[in-house]
Amino acid sequence: MEMIGHGGKPLVEQVITDKDQARKVIKDLKTMPVSRQMATEAIGIAYGFFSPIEGFMKKADVEATCKKMELADGTVWSIPIVYDISDQEIADYKIQQGDKILLTYDGNPLAIFDIEEIYTYDKEGMAQDVYGTKEEKHPGVKRTYAYKDKFLGGKITLVNEPKIREPFTSYFLTPRQHRELFTKKGWQRIVAHQTRNVPHSGHEWLMKHAYIAAHGDLPVEQQETLEGRAISGVLVNCIVGEKRTGDYIDEAIVLCQDELRKSGYFRNDIHMVTMTFWDMRYAGPREAVHHAIIRTNLGLTHHMFGRDHAGVGTYYHSYQAHHLLMSIPKEKLNITPIYVLEWAYCPHCGEVTCVGLCGHHKELQKFSGTKIRSIIMDEVKPTRLIFRPEVFDVVMECSKKYGFGSPFVTTQYLEQAKPAFSIEPL
Amino acid sequence: MAETFPINIWINEERFNALKNAGLADLLKEELAGMKVLIVPCTASQRDKILELYPMAKFDAATTKSIELLPKAVKDQIYNLVVEKKSMEVMDEFIKSVAKS
Ligand SMILES: [Zn+2]
Repeated sequence: MEMIGHGGKPLVEQVITDKDQARKVIKDLKTMPVSRQMATEAIGIAYGFFSPIEGFMKKADVEATCKKMELADGTVWSIPIVYDISDQEIADYKIQQGDKILLTYDGNPLAIFDIEEIYTYDKEGMAQDVYGTKEEKHPGVKRTYAYKDKFLGGKITLVNEPKIREPFTSYFLTPRQHRELFTKKGWQRIVAHQTRNVPHSGHEWLMKHAYIAAHGDLPVEQQETLEGRAISGVLVNCIVGEKRTGDYIDEAIVLCQDELRKSGYFRNDIHMVTMTFWDMRYAGPREAVHHAIIRTNLGLTHHMFGRDHAGVGTYYHSYQAHHLLMSIPKEKLNITPIYVLEWAYCPHCGEVTCVGLCGHHKELQKFSGTKIRSIIMDEVKPTRLIFRPEVFDVVMECSKKYGFGSPFVTTQYLEQAKPAFSIEPL
Repeated sequence: MAETFPINIWINEERFNALKNAGLADLLKEELAGMKVLIVPCTASQRDKILELYPMAKFDAATTKSIELLPKAVKDQIYNLVVEKKSMEVMDEFIKSVAKS
């Protein structure tokens, strides 16, 4: 059955899985090594995470993305997916329009790149359009300015699938595999929780809130007993990619999110954790649209958006992402946003509650992310209403096992932790 | 009084009992469903010195106005000073002792 992705177009899958065939088609191709950044994006393109994009974007698509938040053909698109290169590299690798290049990573074959266009683009303009600022202290702007002076556009075909290391192996699913699993589970509605956090109970309630909203008018009696089978679910889709010091380490994010299910805070049949390779751009509203596109491609029907989605510093208003999503005509985005307010602890109610429901506003204690991190750093087990004890135990385990003694990214982690994927000899 | 910027030292049960026995339990505040926290105030200049001494620490200007992400070992030292002095006014002494070493 053909799978339909974002923009109502067939899901992109450009992967040669037969190794003999792969070896045959790459024979005699010129090779060029790629950075982790570009390898990550090539993998994302080939598996269809960024459908309907079939390759690194050409100038007309980049221009339309920046100026109109769509591709040249009118499909909604918010963030340029570009391959940057210097004149020196173009000369060194003798790259010309019309070439087929074999991209290598870890010294091994990764993907075929059809060089359809070599172009330049105004990076300041790109930064302003995508991030709404030209300030280099914005991490997305910094990444944009770091692009080399030329860009290559053209189709990508994966010839060698990435090997995902432990503990991530079972959490990486392609868009096709996500959809097949949803069908098997019988989920009719699935809501995405986008995350790069270890969950405290504020997050847990956001997920429950979004789940209940998404389930909406579907029947409920299948779930009345544990033997029943849910017909809707929550997909926690963790973003794994470029890290900054102070972030939670990826191992802790994935394993702690999954612990909520393992420890029964969510039933087995309604909750699932997977991951997507993506370097956060912190583009706030535009990144929210991009996340909606990725999750559409994964086969989800709903997407939760909270306060300051994918924002950084004070560049975006708390609910600017909601406003941008609301401005997109419904038929252009095949996923329904679920907008949620924060949940906080109210000592008066004696529970975690939605700030939009509880009337004791002066008493509410918000879940500041830094405050929770500070509690974890002090190695004090938080109260179970705030942070689940099983999740705390997993954080501490991950700190020892993967984080060189810290559940947060340190310079040591940046230097020594192995990337989540590798490319093996073909 | 000038605005102060706290360092939150979260207290586990063992320390809570120690503080109670030393008659210092009154120094603690309760937050987030019964968690005990020692809120050690810093003046603006003490805050700036701490951030300079410990670049990994972060001043949360947006929400809590507190100094966060100090390493545990550093907070342990501050905690010990509070217990020793039976007072929260310890930051000058702490900064002096660190600057010396
Ligand atoms: Zn209340």
